[in-house]
Amino acid sequence: MSGLYDVDNVSLDLAAPSAGLQRLLPGSAPRMTILSSLSLSIGHGEMLGLVGESGSGKSTLARAMMGLVDITDGKLSFEGRPLKGRADFVKVRQGAALMFQDAVASLSPRRKVAAQLIEPFQINGVPLPDGNRAPAVMLERVGLSSSLGQRYPHELSGGQARRVSVARALALKPKLVIADEPTAGLDVSVQAEILNLMTGLRSDMGLSFLIITHNLAVVRHVTDRVAVLYLGRMAEWGPTREVFARPYHPYTRSLIAAEPQADPRKRRPDLALKGEIPSVLARPSGCEFHTRCPIARPRCAVEEPESNMITPDRMVRCHFAEETRIETQGGNHGT
Amino acid sequence: MSEALLKVDDLSISYASEEGPVQALRHATLEARAGEAIGIVGESGCGKSTLASALITLLAGNARVTSGSVQFGGRDILSVSEEEKRKLRGRHIAMIFQDPMTSFNPVLTIGEQLVDFQDQREGLSKPEKRQQAALMLKRVGISDPVRCLDRHVHELSGGMRQRAAIAAALLMAPQVLVADEPTTALDVTMEAQIIHLLRELRRDYNGAVVIVTHHLGVVGELCDRVYVMYAGEVVEEGSTDDVYHNPRHPYTQALIACDPANLHEQTPVLPTIPGRLPDLVNPPRGCSFAARCPRVHERCRSEGPDYVEVGPRHRARCHEARS
Repeated sequence: MSGLYDVDNVSLDLAAPSAGLQRLLPGSAPRMTILSSLSLSIGHGEMLGLVGESGSGKSTLARAMMGLVDITDGKLSFEGRPLKGRADFVKVRQGAALMFQDAVASLSPRRKVAAQLIEPFQINGVPLPDGNRAPAVMLERVGLSSSLGQRYPHELSGGQARRVSVARALALKPKLVIADEPTAGLDVSVQAEILNLMTGLRSDMGLSFLIITHNLAVVRHVTDRVAVLYLGRMAEWGPTREVFARPYHPYTRSLIAAEPQADPRKRRPDLALKGEIPSVLARPSGCEFHTRCPIARPRCAVEEPESNMITPDRMVRCHFAEETRIETQGGNHGT
Repeated sequence: MSEALLKVDDLSISYASEEGPVQALRHATLEARAGEAIGIVGESGCGKSTLASALITLLAGNARVTSGSVQFGGRDILSVSEEEKRKLRGRHIAMIFQDPMTSFNPVLTIGEQLVDFQDQREGLSKPEKRQQAALMLKRVGISDPVRCLDRHVHELSGGMRQRAAIAAALLMAPQVLVADEPTTALDVTMEAQIIHLLRELRRDYNGAVVIVTHHLGVVGELCDRVYVMYAGEVVEEGSTDDVYHNPRHPYTQALIACDPANLHEQTPVLPTIPGRLPDLVNPPRGCSFAARCPRVHERCRSEGPDYVEVGPRHRARCHEARS
């Protein structure tokens, strides 16, 4: 199968931060595994959500997909063409755009919005589509007044800055937009506006989106499929509706249960997930989730679970996924 | 129910600006009782941070109190001397800030700072204060408190940092604890853990807790009562249950509606609140939400609504609150 963007068995190692002096010694320097045998496919016109805690490798995967950090193993391909060297990635950046996490910080404080909007054209040597009107057209496409082009980034509100980064991502008419935490730090009403803008663009322009977030409510409402990452490995993926209705991986279940409830009648008395995500320097043996897993058994500490395709479009990496499946179908699980 | 520990009465605060005074807080009234957790919720620019800084007497230099008071211990704490304000802070009223990374000094260890924070505690030696600090760290769920004392803030994870900040705030057993966006910088699992911790601490803490947040989920999980703010005003107040299940102000209704966490079915288009906040240099003559309100009447544009009682300890600032 070939999607718009395929991530095939990708791993990414980095030198451990303490390796500075050890690197001078003979033998290999310690490495830390950030991403491990990760596979993911984004379809044409699809909205895919990627969730997981801080430190799960979500942003690193996005950067690797754009060629901003090198992978150590595996294959990345865009529109069926494998991406190997710098030149391939330079080309990919015209077909896929990254929206950075901090919208204000990703804009230069010293240049006006209009000048920054046309940068993608200048960098890639593409003539401006609408001549002098280009910035105005781009701003209007994301629902902003064209006069905003004459402002500096610090004069924008959080929601406006986010719209400008959407406009800039769309400059070269990409097929895929990778949005890293597109609504972090926004008020709920503004968050809804940005999400509506993104879903609107998707249906108008046939765009695909990879939405990276730890906000499950966002994923639940706007994505078609969701992938759950834990410590650089895929824990589970599948159609959003099904994963939320019947999560098979205990980590997915814990994440869903951890969401704070605005309805005081739905308060959870106990804690869904204890402890913190382990450091990549001390990756647990076996299944990396076993140190926090509510259903862990001895086998989990020694044996790595395999990727298990429960149905053609649902994957889960857990030794006991089959049992969980029967359990969740048999009764009410989670909240 | 016990007497109010802290009472905000008709408080208005404005900030000097080039265009004229920005009326960031207008006629806010609020009370926090012992053993009660209250939530102050609203979006950017609603005045919740101004209100929080007034509670702990840490108003910005260009802020001016134009009406009302904050009553604590039988006096208006906004009009006492700087020296007395300093004695109140930390000892009687303590605050947990949004970003624990910046609320700790980066060049001192956690232990040195937790000892310093007990400056006003008399009759304790330094080792005893350190002992107290370790006990408090243990209570907030830090498994190796003695080691944590010797660490600097950058060596702690986000969740640990927020725990340490909570320990710092509780160290002097304050009567009022103000938490400004205590979970905003954390991801969902750490947020759940901090909520759980604050709830546990409440069990043996007799003071009042004030949670300032833009996140309705935090209010739902933690607070007994909630104050909803919009454009510098408290527009609705009531028990968390009443306000969530029976919101009477159109802004509260809109705020609950546009949070995707409250929608059960997947929707292609999320509800929003069209329009924008009014200019607070020249606040509207009538209701401040009139320009964005779906149920607006002629009267709303000319006449600012008073509070309308809609139930026991539940009221909303809307002409239509009863209908």
